[in-house]
Amino acid sequence: MKNQLNRRGLLGCIGGTVATILACSTLRKTKAAVQKFFISRQGPKGYDPTQHRWMVALDIERCIGCGLCVQACKTENHVPNSPSCFRTWVERYIIKKPKLASGETRGETVVDSPNGGMDGFHAPLIPKEEILNAFFVPKMCNLCEHSPCSQVCPVGATFDAPDGVVLVDPNYCIGCGFCVQACPYGCRFLNPTTKTADKCSLCYHRITRGLKPACVEICPTQARLFGDLKNLKQDDPIQKFFESGKAHASLKPHLGTGPRVIYASLDKEVR
Amino acid sequence: MRWLKIPPQIVRLLLVTFVIVSCYLILRQILTPVSFGAFGWYRAQALEEISARTPVFAGRQECDQCHAEILQTQAKFAHKTLGCETCHWVGQPHVEDPDVKTAKLTDHTCLRCHEQQAGRPAWFKQITSKKHYAEDRCTECHDGHKPDEK
Repeated sequence: MKNQLNRRGLLGCIGGTVATILACSTLRKTKAAVQKFFISRQGPKGYDPTQHRWMVALDIERCIGCGLCVQACKTENHVPNSPSCFRTWVERYIIKKPKLASGETRGETVVDSPNGGMDGFHAPLIPKEEILNAFFVPKMCNLCEHSPCSQVCPVGATFDAPDGVVLVDPNYCIGCGFCVQACPYGCRFLNPTTKTADKCSLCYHRITRGLKPACVEICPTQARLFGDLKNLKQDDPIQKFFESGKAHASLKPHLGTGPRVIYASLDKEVR
Repeated sequence: MRWLKIPPQIVRLLLVTFVIVSCYLILRQILTPVSFGAFGWYRAQALEEISARTPVFAGRQECDQCHAEILQTQAKFAHKTLGCETCHWVGQPHVEDPDVKTAKLTDHTCLRCHEQQAGRPAWFKQITSKKHYAEDRCTECHDGHKPDEK
Protein backbone atom coordinates (compact mmCIF):
# COMPACT_ATOMS: atom_id res chain seq x y z
CA MET A 1 0.00 0.00 0.00
CA LYS A 2 1.56 3.24 -1.15
CA ASN A 3 -0.62 5.85 0.58
CA GLN A 4 -0.68 4.00 3.84
CA LEU A 5 -3.54 4.85 6.16
CA ASN A 6 -2.39 5.74 9.64
CA ARG A 7 -4.31 5.32 12.84
CA ARG A 8 -5.37 9.00 12.97
CA GLY A 9 -6.72 8.90 9.41
CA LEU A 10 -8.63 5.68 9.95
CA LEU A 11 -10.22 6.81 13.21
CA GLY A 12 -11.10 10.15 11.63
CA CYS A 13 -12.76 8.36 8.74
CA ILE A 14 -14.86 6.14 11.03
CA GLY A 15 -15.76 9.08 13.26
CA GLY A 16 -16.81 11.13 10.24
CA THR A 17 -19.07 8.37 8.95
CA VAL A 18 -20.78 7.88 12.31
CA ALA A 19 -21.26 11.65 12.59
CA THR A 20 -22.84 11.72 9.09
CA ILE A 21 -25.30 8.95 10.05
CA LEU A 22 -26.27 10.80 13.24
CA ALA A 23 -26.60 14.11 11.39
CA CYS A 24 -28.84 12.48 8.75
CA SER A 25 -31.00 11.04 11.49
CA THR A 26 -31.39 14.43 13.22
CA LEU A 27 -32.06 16.17 9.91
CA ARG A 28 -34.84 13.82 8.88
CA LYS A 29 -36.43 13.99 12.33
CA THR A 30 -36.50 17.80 12.03
CA LYS A 31 -37.93 17.58 8.52
CA ALA A 32 -40.63 15.15 9.73
CA ALA A 33 -41.51 17.43 12.66
CA VAL A 34 -41.95 20.38 10.28
CA GLN A 35 -44.09 18.28 7.90
CA LYS A 36 -46.16 16.99 10.81
CA PHE A 37 -46.78 20.54 12.00
CA PHE A 38 -48.19 21.59 8.64
CA ILE A 39 -50.31 18.44 8.18
CA SER A 40 -51.77 18.38 11.69
CA ARG A 41 -52.82 22.03 11.30
CA GLN A 42 -55.36 20.95 8.66
CA GLY A 43 -56.30 17.63 10.21
CA PRO A 44 -58.65 16.71 13.05
CA LYS A 45 -57.52 17.28 16.63
CA GLY A 46 -57.18 14.65 19.31
CA TYR A 47 -57.93 11.51 17.34
CA ASP A 48 -56.13 8.45 18.72
CA PRO A 49 -56.34 5.52 16.28
CA THR A 50 -55.53 2.99 19.02
CA GLN A 51 -58.72 3.89 20.93
CA HIS A 52 -61.17 2.85 18.18
CA ARG A 53 -62.20 -0.26 16.26
CA TRP A 54 -64.56 0.65 13.45
CA MET A 55 -67.11 -1.67 11.91
CA VAL A 56 -69.97 -1.45 9.44
CA ALA A 57 -73.26 -3.35 9.35
CA LEU A 58 -75.25 -3.61 6.12
CA ASP A 59 -78.88 -4.66 6.30
CA ILE A 60 -80.03 -6.09 2.98
CA GLU A 61 -83.69 -6.01 4.01
CA ARG A 62 -83.47 -2.27 4.44
CA CYS A 63 -81.60 -1.46 1.22
CA ILE A 64 -83.93 0.06 -1.39
CA GLY A 65 -81.35 0.35 -4.17
CA CYS A 66 -81.50 4.13 -4.54
CA GLY A 67 -77.75 4.24 -5.15
CA LEU A 68 -77.36 7.53 -3.27
CA CYS A 69 -74.54 5.99 -1.24
CA VAL A 70 -72.52 5.35 -4.39
CA GLN A 71 -73.09 8.89 -5.62
CA ALA A 72 -72.24 10.32 -2.18
CA CYS A 73 -69.04 8.27 -2.03
CA LYS A 74 -67.90 9.51 -5.43
CA THR A 75 -68.65 13.12 -4.43
CA GLU A 76 -67.05 12.92 -1.01
CA ASN A 77 -63.89 11.15 -2.08
CA HIS A 78 -63.46 12.68 -5.56
CA VAL A 79 -63.48 9.23 -7.14
CA PRO A 80 -63.06 9.49 -10.94
CA ASN A 81 -66.32 9.16 -12.81
CA SER A 82 -65.19 6.03 -14.64
CA PRO A 83 -67.36 2.90 -14.67
CA SER A 84 -64.48 0.90 -13.17
CA CYS A 85 -63.74 3.17 -10.20
CA PHE A 86 -65.96 2.54 -7.20
CA ARG A 87 -65.15 2.64 -3.52
CA THR A 88 -68.64 1.36 -2.86
CA TRP A 89 -71.30 0.08 -5.21
CA VAL A 90 -74.70 -1.60 -5.11
CA GLU A 91 -75.54 -4.89 -6.82
CA ARG A 92 -79.02 -6.09 -7.69
CA TYR A 93 -79.64 -9.83 -7.31
CA ILE A 94 -82.61 -11.31 -9.10
CA ILE A 95 -83.34 -14.94 -8.36
CA LYS A 96 -85.63 -16.40 -11.02
CA LYS A 97 -88.34 -18.94 -10.41
CA PRO A 98 -87.20 -22.50 -11.17
CA LYS A 99 -88.09 -24.00 -14.54
CA LEU A 100 -91.18 -26.20 -14.45
CA ALA A 101 -90.54 -29.84 -13.55
CA SER A 102 -86.83 -29.11 -12.94
CA GLY A 103 -87.20 -30.19 -9.31
CA GLU A 104 -85.15 -27.20 -8.06
CA THR A 105 -86.34 -24.73 -5.47
CA ARG A 106 -84.90 -21.68 -7.20
CA GLY A 107 -83.84 -20.79 -10.72
CA GLU A 108 -81.00 -18.84 -12.24
CA THR A 109 -79.49 -15.87 -10.37
CA VAL A 110 -78.98 -12.69 -12.38
CA VAL A 111 -76.72 -9.99 -10.93
CA ASP A 112 -76.44 -6.51 -12.35
CA SER A 113 -75.01 -3.20 -11.21
CA PRO A 114 -75.48 -0.55 -13.93
CA ASN A 115 -72.74 2.07 -13.36
CA GLY A 116 -72.30 0.66 -9.86
CA GLY A 117 -75.88 1.64 -9.05
CA MET A 118 -74.79 5.26 -9.00
CA ASP A 119 -77.75 6.55 -11.02
CA GLY A 120 -80.22 4.30 -9.25
CA PHE A 121 -81.80 1.22 -10.77
CA HIS A 122 -84.43 0.97 -13.48
CA ALA A 123 -87.03 -1.78 -13.51
CA PRO A 124 -85.35 -5.05 -14.50
CA LEU A 125 -85.82 -6.49 -17.99
CA ILE A 126 -86.88 -9.79 -16.48
CA PRO A 127 -90.71 -9.92 -16.30
CA LYS A 128 -92.28 -9.82 -12.83
CA GLU A 129 -93.81 -13.29 -13.15
CA GLU A 130 -90.39 -14.92 -13.54
CA ILE A 131 -88.88 -13.33 -10.42
CA LEU A 132 -88.81 -15.42 -7.27
CA ASN A 133 -86.86 -12.98 -5.16
CA ALA A 134 -84.95 -9.77 -5.75
CA PHE A 135 -82.84 -7.65 -3.46
CA PHE A 136 -80.03 -5.10 -3.42
CA VAL A 137 -76.61 -5.72 -1.90
CA PRO A 138 -74.38 -2.76 -1.04
CA LYS A 139 -70.70 -3.60 -1.37
CA MET A 140 -67.66 -1.86 0.05
CA CYS A 141 -64.29 -2.62 1.67
CA ASN A 142 -64.87 -5.50 4.08
CA LEU A 143 -62.42 -4.16 6.69
CA CYS A 144 -60.66 -7.51 6.98
CA GLU A 145 -59.02 -8.49 10.24
CA HIS A 146 -56.40 -10.33 8.15
CA SER A 147 -56.45 -8.27 4.99
CA PRO A 148 -54.96 -10.03 1.94
CA CYS A 149 -54.35 -6.67 0.23
CA SER A 150 -51.99 -5.36 2.87
CA GLN A 151 -50.17 -8.71 3.03
CA VAL A 152 -49.17 -8.54 -0.64
CA CYS A 153 -48.13 -4.88 -0.78
CA PRO A 154 -44.38 -4.91 -1.54
CA VAL A 155 -43.68 -1.40 -0.25
CA GLY A 156 -45.86 -1.07 2.85
CA ALA A 157 -48.18 1.42 1.14
CA THR A 158 -51.37 -0.34 2.18
CA PHE A 159 -51.91 -1.27 5.77
CA ASP A 160 -54.33 -2.06 8.57
CA ALA A 161 -54.50 1.07 10.70
CA PRO A 162 -54.72 0.50 14.49
CA ASP A 163 -58.42 1.43 14.34
CA GLY A 164 -59.14 -1.41 11.91
CA VAL A 165 -59.45 0.63 8.72
CA VAL A 166 -57.45 -0.66 5.75
CA LEU A 167 -55.87 2.36 4.11
CA VAL A 168 -53.67 3.22 1.13
CA ASP A 169 -50.79 5.66 1.54
CA PRO A 170 -50.98 7.46 -1.83
CA ASN A 171 -47.51 8.98 -1.41
CA TYR A 172 -45.95 5.54 -0.99
CA CYS A 173 -47.97 3.43 -3.45
CA ILE A 174 -46.10 2.44 -6.61
CA GLY A 175 -49.27 1.38 -8.44
CA CYS A 176 -48.18 -2.22 -9.04
CA GLY A 177 -51.73 -3.49 -8.64
CA PHE A 178 -50.92 -6.58 -6.52
CA CYS A 179 -53.50 -5.51 -3.94
CA VAL A 180 -56.16 -5.14 -6.63
CA GLN A 181 -55.64 -8.80 -7.50
CA ALA A 182 -55.38 -9.90 -3.89
CA CYS A 183 -58.68 -8.45 -2.68
CA PRO A 184 -61.20 -11.31 -2.80
CA TYR A 185 -64.09 -8.85 -2.71
CA GLY A 186 -63.01 -6.75 -5.71
CA CYS A 187 -62.99 -3.62 -3.59
CA ARG A 188 -59.82 -2.09 -5.03
CA PHE A 189 -59.00 -0.33 -8.27
CA LEU A 190 -56.17 1.66 -9.78
CA ASN A 191 -57.11 5.32 -9.77
CA PRO A 192 -56.48 6.65 -13.30
CA THR A 193 -55.86 10.18 -11.96
CA THR A 194 -53.36 9.44 -9.20
CA LYS A 195 -52.06 6.18 -10.76
CA THR A 196 -52.17 4.60 -7.32
CA ALA A 197 -54.32 1.91 -5.74
CA ASP A 198 -57.55 3.30 -4.32
CA LYS A 199 -60.24 1.87 -2.11
CA CYS A 200 -62.84 2.69 0.52
CA SER A 201 -61.09 4.51 3.36
CA LEU A 202 -64.27 4.44 5.46
CA CYS A 203 -64.14 8.21 4.86
CA TYR A 204 -61.16 8.43 7.21
CA HIS A 205 -61.19 12.24 7.05
CA ARG A 206 -64.79 12.18 8.31
CA ILE A 207 -64.64 9.50 11.01
CA THR A 208 -61.57 11.10 12.59
CA ARG A 209 -63.68 14.27 12.96
CA GLY A 210 -66.57 12.41 14.60
CA LEU A 211 -68.71 12.33 11.46
CA LYS A 212 -70.18 9.23 9.83
CA PRO A 213 -68.82 7.99 6.48
CA ALA A 214 -70.60 9.70 3.55
CA CYS A 215 -72.52 6.54 2.52
CA VAL A 216 -73.84 6.02 6.07
CA GLU A 217 -74.74 9.70 6.41
CA ILE A 218 -76.65 9.65 3.11
CA CYS A 219 -78.40 6.25 3.37
CA PRO A 220 -82.12 7.09 3.72
CA THR A 221 -83.19 3.80 5.32
CA GLN A 222 -80.33 3.05 7.74
CA ALA A 223 -79.36 0.05 5.67
CA ARG A 224 -75.79 1.08 6.41
CA LEU A 225 -74.82 1.32 10.05
CA PHE A 226 -71.49 2.42 11.38
CA GLY A 227 -70.03 2.03 14.84
CA ASP A 228 -67.02 1.73 17.08
CA LEU A 229 -66.55 -1.69 18.69
CA LYS A 230 -64.29 -0.24 21.39
CA ASN A 231 -66.77 2.45 22.47
CA LEU A 232 -70.22 0.87 22.09
CA LYS A 233 -72.89 3.01 23.70
CA GLN A 234 -76.28 1.80 24.90
CA ASP A 235 -78.28 3.32 22.03
CA ASP A 236 -75.59 2.73 19.42
CA PRO A 237 -77.05 1.62 16.06
CA ILE A 238 -74.51 -1.23 15.95
CA GLN A 239 -75.57 -2.36 19.43
CA LYS A 240 -79.20 -2.35 18.31
CA PHE A 241 -78.26 -4.23 15.16
CA PHE A 242 -76.74 -7.08 17.17
CA GLU A 243 -79.58 -7.06 19.72
CA SER A 244 -82.24 -7.22 16.98
CA GLY A 245 -81.46 -10.93 16.60
CA LYS A 246 -81.22 -10.78 12.81
CA ALA A 247 -79.06 -13.49 11.33
CA HIS A 248 -75.79 -11.90 10.30
CA ALA A 249 -72.92 -13.14 8.20
CA SER A 250 -69.89 -11.86 6.35
CA LEU A 251 -68.91 -12.39 2.73
CA LYS A 252 -66.68 -15.38 1.83
CA PRO A 253 -66.09 -16.49 5.43
CA HIS A 254 -64.16 -19.56 4.23
CA LEU A 255 -61.25 -17.33 3.18
CA GLY A 256 -60.47 -16.51 6.81
CA THR A 257 -60.17 -12.79 6.18
CA GLY A 258 -62.37 -11.99 9.19
CA PRO A 259 -64.32 -9.05 7.73
CA ARG A 260 -65.65 -6.38 10.07
CA VAL A 261 -68.38 -5.57 7.56
CA ILE A 262 -71.37 -7.62 8.66
CA TYR A 263 -74.42 -8.29 6.51
CA ALA A 264 -77.90 -8.97 7.86
CA SER A 265 -80.33 -11.19 5.92
CA LEU A 266 -77.60 -12.30 3.53
CA ASP A 267 -78.75 -14.71 0.83
CA LYS A 268 -76.49 -17.67 0.10
CA GLU A 269 -76.23 -16.58 -3.54
CA VAL A 270 -74.33 -13.42 -2.59
CA ARG A 271 -70.59 -13.69 -3.18
CA MET B 1 -0.43 -0.97 8.69
CA ARG B 2 2.25 -2.31 10.97
CA TRP B 3 0.35 -1.29 14.07
CA LEU B 4 -2.45 -3.76 13.51
CA LYS B 5 -0.48 -6.74 12.26
CA ILE B 6 -3.32 -7.65 9.92
CA PRO B 7 -2.50 -8.68 6.38
CA PRO B 8 -3.21 -5.76 3.97
CA GLN B 9 -5.72 -7.72 1.84
CA ILE B 10 -7.84 -8.32 4.96
CA VAL B 11 -7.61 -4.64 5.88
CA ARG B 12 -8.78 -3.72 2.38
CA LEU B 13 -11.69 -6.16 2.68
CA LEU B 14 -12.64 -4.72 6.06
CA LEU B 15 -12.50 -1.20 4.67
CA VAL B 16 -14.71 -2.11 1.69
CA THR B 17 -17.21 -3.77 4.06
CA PHE B 18 -17.19 -0.71 6.28
CA VAL B 19 -17.81 1.60 3.30
CA ILE B 20 -20.72 -0.56 2.03
CA VAL B 21 -22.33 -0.84 5.47
CA SER B 22 -22.02 2.89 6.14
CA CYS B 23 -23.44 3.75 2.72
CA TYR B 24 -26.38 1.46 3.47
CA LEU B 25 -26.94 3.03 6.89
CA ILE B 26 -26.75 6.59 5.52
CA LEU B 27 -29.09 5.81 2.61
CA ARG B 28 -31.54 4.10 4.93
CA GLN B 29 -31.55 7.14 7.19
CA ILE B 30 -32.27 9.40 4.23
CA LEU B 31 -34.81 7.22 2.42
CA THR B 32 -36.93 5.73 5.23
CA PRO B 33 -39.65 8.08 6.44
CA VAL B 34 -39.36 8.83 10.17
CA SER B 35 -42.82 7.57 11.07
CA PHE B 36 -42.27 4.27 9.22
CA GLY B 37 -42.78 1.43 11.70
CA ALA B 38 -44.44 3.43 14.46
CA PHE B 39 -47.59 1.25 14.25
CA GLY B 40 -46.49 -1.40 11.77
CA TRP B 41 -44.76 -1.81 8.43
CA TYR B 42 -46.03 1.46 7.04
CA ARG B 43 -45.74 5.23 7.36
CA ALA B 44 -47.74 6.19 10.46
CA GLN B 45 -47.86 9.78 9.23
CA ALA B 46 -50.04 8.61 6.33
CA LEU B 47 -52.93 8.38 8.82
CA GLU B 48 -52.71 12.12 9.46
CA GLU B 49 -52.26 12.91 5.79
CA ILE B 50 -55.35 10.89 4.83
CA SER B 51 -57.47 12.47 7.55
CA ALA B 52 -56.35 16.02 6.67
CA ARG B 53 -58.89 16.35 3.82
CA THR B 54 -61.98 18.50 4.36
CA PRO B 55 -65.37 16.73 4.36
CA VAL B 56 -67.77 17.56 1.53
CA PHE B 57 -70.97 16.48 3.26
CA ALA B 58 -71.44 18.54 6.41
CA GLY B 59 -73.47 16.01 8.42
CA ARG B 60 -76.76 16.65 10.17
CA GLN B 61 -75.17 18.08 13.35
CA GLU B 62 -74.10 21.07 11.26
CA CYS B 63 -77.62 21.51 9.84
CA ASP B 64 -79.06 21.29 13.36
CA GLN B 65 -77.25 24.48 14.39
CA CYS B 66 -79.50 26.70 12.24
CA HIS B 67 -82.39 24.48 11.12
CA ALA B 68 -83.20 22.74 14.42
CA GLU B 69 -86.99 23.16 14.00
CA ILE B 70 -87.00 21.30 10.69
CA LEU B 71 -84.95 18.48 12.18
CA GLN B 72 -87.35 18.21 15.12
CA THR B 73 -90.35 18.08 12.76
CA GLN B 74 -88.66 15.52 10.57
CA ALA B 75 -87.89 13.29 13.59
CA LYS B 76 -91.64 12.78 14.17
CA PHE B 77 -92.40 11.45 10.70
CA ALA B 78 -91.46 8.56 8.45
CA HIS B 79 -88.50 10.42 6.99
CA LYS B 80 -86.77 10.47 10.38
CA THR B 81 -84.02 8.14 9.19
CA LEU B 82 -83.00 10.45 6.35
CA GLY B 83 -80.07 12.76 6.67
CA CYS B 84 -80.62 16.33 5.46
CA GLU B 85 -78.09 15.81 2.70
CA THR B 86 -79.83 12.68 1.45
CA CYS B 87 -82.25 14.94 -0.44
CA HIS B 88 -80.63 18.39 -0.25
CA TRP B 89 -77.23 16.95 -1.21
CA VAL B 90 -73.79 18.48 -0.45
CA GLY B 91 -74.07 20.95 2.42
CA GLN B 92 -70.53 22.08 3.28
CA PRO B 93 -70.52 25.10 0.88
CA HIS B 94 -73.84 26.23 2.38
CA VAL B 95 -72.42 25.87 5.91
CA GLU B 96 -69.44 28.05 5.01
CA ASP B 97 -71.52 30.65 3.16
CA PRO B 98 -75.32 30.58 3.79
CA ASP B 99 -75.91 32.47 0.53
CA VAL B 100 -74.76 29.43 -1.43
CA LYS B 101 -77.89 27.31 -1.66
CA THR B 102 -78.01 23.52 -1.72
CA ALA B 103 -79.18 21.62 -4.81
CA LYS B 104 -82.75 22.23 -6.00
CA LEU B 105 -85.08 19.31 -5.37
CA THR B 106 -87.07 17.79 -8.21
CA ASP B 107 -89.60 14.98 -8.44
CA HIS B 108 -86.76 12.74 -9.43
CA THR B 109 -85.44 13.17 -5.86
CA CYS B 110 -88.59 11.45 -4.54
CA LEU B 111 -88.97 8.90 -7.30
CA ARG B 112 -85.38 7.69 -7.09
CA CYS B 113 -86.42 5.88 -3.92
CA HIS B 114 -90.21 5.62 -4.17
CA GLU B 115 -90.76 4.35 -7.72
CA GLN B 116 -92.20 0.82 -7.64
CA GLN B 117 -89.51 -1.71 -8.53
CA ALA B 118 -88.60 -5.37 -8.15
CA GLY B 119 -85.95 -5.66 -5.45
CA ARG B 120 -87.32 -2.95 -3.19
CA PRO B 121 -88.46 -4.51 0.09
CA ALA B 122 -92.20 -4.83 0.78
CA TRP B 123 -92.13 -2.60 3.91
CA PHE B 124 -90.97 0.34 1.83
CA LYS B 125 -93.64 2.69 0.41
CA GLN B 126 -93.56 2.59 -3.38
CA ILE B 127 -95.70 4.10 -6.12
CA THR B 128 -95.98 3.73 -9.85
CA SER B 129 -95.59 7.38 -10.75
CA LYS B 130 -97.66 7.15 -13.96
CA LYS B 131 -100.64 5.69 -12.12
CA HIS B 132 -100.23 7.56 -8.83
CA TYR B 133 -100.59 11.03 -10.31
CA ALA B 134 -100.80 12.03 -13.93
CA GLU B 135 -98.00 14.57 -13.62
CA ASP B 136 -94.99 14.23 -11.36
CA ARG B 137 -95.57 16.99 -8.86
CA CYS B 138 -94.96 15.28 -5.52
CA THR B 139 -94.86 18.43 -3.38
CA GLU B 140 -98.38 19.45 -4.34
CA CYS B 141 -99.66 16.87 -1.85
CA HIS B 142 -96.62 15.75 0.15
CA ASP B 143 -94.14 17.59 2.33
CA GLY B 144 -90.73 15.94 2.40
CA HIS B 145 -90.19 16.87 6.05
CA LYS B 146 -93.54 15.38 7.17
CA PRO B 147 -94.41 12.84 4.49
CA ASP B 148 -97.09 11.05 6.57
CA GLU B 149 -99.39 14.09 6.41
CA LYS B 150 -101.31 14.23 3.16
